[in-house]
Amino acid sequence: MSAILEKGPVHQFDSAAIRQQFPILAQKVHDRPLVFLDSAASAQKPNAVIDCMADTMRTQYANIHRGLHWMSERTTEAYEGVRDQVAAFLNAPSREEIVFTRNSTEAINLVAYSFGALLKPGQAVVISEMEHHANLVPWQMLRDRAGIELRIAPITDEGDLDLDALQDILSDGQVALVAITHMSNVLGSVTPARQIADMAHAAGAQVLFDGSQFVVHRKTDVQALGADFYTFTGHKLYGPTGIGILWARKALLDAMPPFMGGGDMISTVTFERSTWAHVPHKFEAGTPAIIEAIGLGAAISWVEKVGMEAITAHEAALTSYALTRLADVPGLKVIGAPKDRGGVISFTMDDVHPHDIATLLDRNGVAVRAGHHCAEPLMRRLGLTATARASFGIYTVQEEIDVLADTLVRIRNFFV
Amino acid sequence: MTMPVDSGALYDRLIVERARKPLFAGRLENPEKIGEGKNPLCGDKTRVELQLDQDHISLVRHHTRGCAICLAAADLMAERITGLNIAQAEGVGRQFSAMLVEKDGQPATSATAGTPALEQLEAFAPLRAHRARIRCAELPWVALKEALSHVDV
Repeated sequence: MSAILEKGPVHQFDSAAIRQQFPILAQKVHDRPLVFLDSAASAQKPNAVIDCMADTMRTQYANIHRGLHWMSERTTEAYEGVRDQVAAFLNAPSREEIVFTRNSTEAINLVAYSFGALLKPGQAVVISEMEHHANLVPWQMLRDRAGIELRIAPITDEGDLDLDALQDILSDGQVALVAITHMSNVLGSVTPARQIADMAHAAGAQVLFDGSQFVVHRKTDVQALGADFYTFTGHKLYGPTGIGILWARKALLDAMPPFMGGGDMISTVTFERSTWAHVPHKFEAGTPAIIEAIGLGAAISWVEKVGMEAITAHEAALTSYALTRLADVPGLKVIGAPKDRGGVISFTMDDVHPHDIATLLDRNGVAVRAGHHCAEPLMRRLGLTATARASFGIYTVQEEIDVLADTLVRIRNFFV
Repeated sequence: MTMPVDSGALYDRLIVERARKPLFAGRLENPEKIGEGKNPLCGDKTRVELQLDQDHISLVRHHTRGCAICLAAADLMAERITGLNIAQAEGVGRQFSAMLVEKDGQPATSATAGTPALEQLEAFAPLRAHRARIRCAELPWVALKEALSHVDV
């Protein structure tokens, strides 16, 4: 265990010690040090997560909830222990409200299917113009299946949710659910969740927040937010792929029919009929991603040891530094100017195509994302086909922002 | 003075110049054949318009919205296939695709008898090392294929 973890929470951020815990950061790309600015797509993994998953497979693994033997019982304890950890991480009132899914996409699909089954034709679901396809396509599918209406809340040119317009959209009382990102993966906008929740509740609607980006950067408290549903994914939180979380109020989970059928989600089964297990197991059919769930637990422990406040402060400083440096790159335009921005910056540079930017950055060791970022309707709203995006994580340092900005200047000289 | 950016030989000077100042961009007044290619991953689009003189391609124009690789590929394709007959143009296209998937260290694809050489299109060879970008260079050829798909040879 490295020094930083032994000392407990750090308030002075020791970037060198943090970076040492991510072995991949020592890799070279095209003979240059890796500058990884694509954490919003998926974050790298610290040794704590890598070791925990490997140790699980080496020393303590069996299927869960069904074995009568020692190995199964220990593995069940580890897996169920993560449910407690996630509940605490989100400040959920109860561990039974934590449902393990494959990712945030699956969590939202679960809500669209199971909560969607409770809706009646004519009722509406509201999303925003800046949703990831994960919080858009499942609602279109529900609309086409169940005859509900899908309404789109606009954003301002700065990239903030237009709250006045949302108020209008809610005014006829037909809205059953407002499903909005808690932080945009393209614009970095952090949405005023508490305010949105209050507006939704006043109109008789439930509210879902897609927290995939948010939980990585800020302390999340589902009770303080007034949320009814909250989703996030493990792999952006320095955990493994294949594990995500749905949190929902227990009364909602109890009322919702199961999403998928199979083993582990039943109470009794005969050829004539089956009855369902209690929540959350009603929503967890089949052998789950056991090792990945345990890996997510390790990731949450690790993040909490570093301290979410320290992470938030570090990333806020980096983002502000990056905005200053990028402002000096000729021809570069940062997309959006939200009131509250997390560590995500999308940009364009004159006529240089974002894919050319990304390829040339990559040649110089810098990994960014380019494209529509799974948010095509938002791109259309912004009048763009694609952007390049730099995103920051716990291990990002100022020197990497310098490499980004300097390389962008040279790329522009190359093309213009 | 900053040092030039490392482009890994991918962005040959010819590619950058053609992307900036294409020689075959535009539209034909009365195109005989039209084909379109679209890459849903990045939104790149190209439209290829042809005029034929019997089975010879006499005039080519492209209308391309895309990255430098896609733009230059469309322009250099237009230049290369002008004057060829349809079978020859299709042969060049096959050879171009084969070049892009060749493994490093393998001998260059030998042209089948009667197929004209790639010539300037060889500038795209370094794309082999950037698999994600090969589609950008192939998009104009997809459009060409569509344009030619209704031609009886």
